[in-house]
Amino acid sequence: MLVKVKSVAHIGLETIPVDVEVNVANKGLPAFDIVGLPDKAVAESKERVKTAILSSGMEFPNKKITVNLAPADVQKEGASYDLPIAIAIIAAESDFKISEKSLFFGELSLDGSLRHTKGVFLLGLFAQQSGTRFEKIFVPKDSANEATIFQGIKVLAIENLSQLFLHLTSQKIIKPIPYQELTETRSLLTPEFDMSEILGQEQTKRAMEITAAGSHNLLMTGSPGAGKTMLARALPGILPFLSDEESLEVTKIYSLSGQIPAGGSLIRTPPFRSPHHSTSQVGLIGGGQRPLPGEISLAHRGVLFLDEFNEFPRHILESLRQPLEDGYLTISRSKERVKYPARFTLVASSNPCPCGYLNHPKKRCICSSQQIKKYQKKVSGPILDRIDLHVEVPSVEIKELSDNQKAAEFLEPSSAIRERVLKARKIQNQRFLNEIIFTNAEMKNEQIKKYCKLAKEVEQVLQQAGSKFQLSARSYLKMIKIARTIADLENSQDIQLNHMAEALQYRPKNYEGI
Amino acid sequence: MEMQGVILKEDARYPSLLKKISKDAPLQLYYKGEWDEQIFENCLAVVGSRQMTSYGKRVVERVVTGVASAGITIVSGFMYGVDATAHKMALLAGGRTIAVMPCGIDLIHPEYQLDLYTEILKNKGLIISEYEGKTQPVTWTYPRRNRIVAGLSQATLVVEAGEKSGSLITANLARKFKRKIFSVPGPIFSETAKGTNQLIKTGAEMVFSEKDILNFYKIPCFNFEEKKTIINNSGSILEKQIMEYLQREPLEIDILSRFLGIPSSKLGANLSLMEMKGLIEQDNGKYYLC
Repeated sequence: MLVKVKSVAHIGLETIPVDVEVNVANKGLPAFDIVGLPDKAVAESKERVKTAILSSGMEFPNKKITVNLAPADVQKEGASYDLPIAIAIIAAESDFKISEKSLFFGELSLDGSLRHTKGVFLLGLFAQQSGTRFEKIFVPKDSANEATIFQGIKVLAIENLSQLFLHLTSQKIIKPIPYQELTETRSLLTPEFDMSEILGQEQTKRAMEITAAGSHNLLMTGSPGAGKTMLARALPGILPFLSDEESLEVTKIYSLSGQIPAGGSLIRTPPFRSPHHSTSQVGLIGGGQRPLPGEISLAHRGVLFLDEFNEFPRHILESLRQPLEDGYLTISRSKERVKYPARFTLVASSNPCPCGYLNHPKKRCICSSQQIKKYQKKVSGPILDRIDLHVEVPSVEIKELSDNQKAAEFLEPSSAIRERVLKARKIQNQRFLNEIIFTNAEMKNEQIKKYCKLAKEVEQVLQQAGSKFQLSARSYLKMIKIARTIADLENSQDIQLNHMAEALQYRPKNYEGI
Repeated sequence: MEMQGVILKEDARYPSLLKKISKDAPLQLYYKGEWDEQIFENCLAVVGSRQMTSYGKRVVERVVTGVASAGITIVSGFMYGVDATAHKMALLAGGRTIAVMPCGIDLIHPEYQLDLYTEILKNKGLIISEYEGKTQPVTWTYPRRNRIVAGLSQATLVVEAGEKSGSLITANLARKFKRKIFSVPGPIFSETAKGTNQLIKTGAEMVFSEKDILNFYKIPCFNFEEKKTIINNSGSILEKQIMEYLQREPLEIDILSRFLGIPSSKLGANLSLMEMKGLIEQDNGKYYLC
């Protein structure tokens, strides 16, 4: 008897329908074969399916079973075909009908229960986009929350095979999980650190505010222990929440790479990724035999924090160039081509020299000037060119600061800073309504000309600064972009002199002057 | 094209001051550049730490510029740090400078300072070594080289030196040769000032400005000390306040903002403008008066 069950395959962020056809033949020697380009995980599902059915107290037919995953020319991977294969075999034996409008997706455990499976969000999205073609999705209970935000789709959370059997044979109906409105999923962020927990470092905090407001890339330079990492970790607390569309984009990537925890739902908080400097190129950029998103895509719409920037191998840093420019990455393989979004804010931190103590007030630097030059040159010009804000993070005496009243007065909670950031973002949204960009940092020459008109005196100051500080043409434009964000933070229509003057504080500086 | 050669100790052109260190004087001097005895007339050795701090850099900028523009030849060891900066500042001030190499005359050490090397030669300076050809620099050639640096000069200026700095070797040699020693004082907590402060304690003359050195060479000096007047001139109240603080010590923006009670965003704008006016300058995160 032939049974057809519907499921899906994910190719990159795209989802295509897959027919799981199971034939249980009375003739022939007992066998269990899966065809249709299964990978190792799919091929091994034979054992899981067989044991799970037996553990659920049902009979496993001692017949010739053939499973075909169609279309036959698309590589099938992962354990998500366990559920459709198992339920098709049971249906063939127990002779009940399975609706063509239902999608099955999930990995089986040997005891017949279902495990948290990656990609359920993409499945829900696919079901919704296919209109009336699919009505119900049967997914593991732990993963079901991912799909509840899709209206018009009935999400059935399955705990184990026998429960599903009782439902399909109408003995005990499972109620679909109620639809959850997108807006309801917004939750408050709880970042690791609040900005008010960090004493001192007022200028760096200000630079972070500008970074958050205009999504400018930021480089912090300072000795070990100055607080660079802590500051970076506090950054998510002042970032604007993800908008609904952004949230969908981010959740897609996280669902695909299995980064959503069991029971988790939509991702509403801007991602903060901090890969270690030993991360491989594939790990950072994405790729692999079956191209998967890397850290830069997981940081989409959020922050990619590269601690010890200079310690990253040069070729890995260079590979950041294209995604930093385009906001996406295309990975090509002979068989397929996938495109992953990667619009992230780069926050990098580095030491001024190999030992880290150049210009430290207390400790002595032991590096030779050649070592220092070599160290600083490790990050190439084109990468530095893509970083808007450069700040030096000085070493601070905690004791001195905790007694300092003014330092306490300047402390602001993250929520207060975020308020300003949100307002500045709003202004930018208005500004770029008819453009394809969202933030000031993304402006290109022509948009800078259009939206950043400089008064004569401001232009003059910038020109003077250009020759005094030896700014490159690119730095020149960066200063304008930063000034634009500073003006937005102050809700000022025009870029004023003080905005430009402050922007100049964040110009790239030569570390060692000799 | 390049002038080069060797001067033996017996040669009349051999610098007389160097000859006075008698048995310590090298038997021959290999040189590159134009051998012109005038260059040896008034020489000041400038030595200091390889790990120059921004304080040291500012001292060299100020003092060497003043001294070199008054026509005194700056002698140093071509090392990175204070040495290289001293050579550079001398050239920038339009003065002449002599680099004494710890290696054979045909080597450039450190190699990456090739630009400086050619600049020295271009500006009528001299490259000197007692070693021929491509003799490699080894640990003992550095202190040996120092005796030539000290021996060529009427006085030695130590800018920054740690407790066990090689600059102190030069200073001790200068003392042995009965030459004048100048030392730049520094904060007592600073690692790079321990050596210089110690020198002052044991009799070296403290240097506050180029004036102290020019007095020793009996060269009249003009147009110094006029910089302070700027503070009382134009500028807003805030600018004056900022300059008052910076007059005491170089400060980071965060600390300055706490002193003044002004958020760093606002203060930053002011500092940028002041920097462009040339009132202050920024180096390695700290602001200084110009």
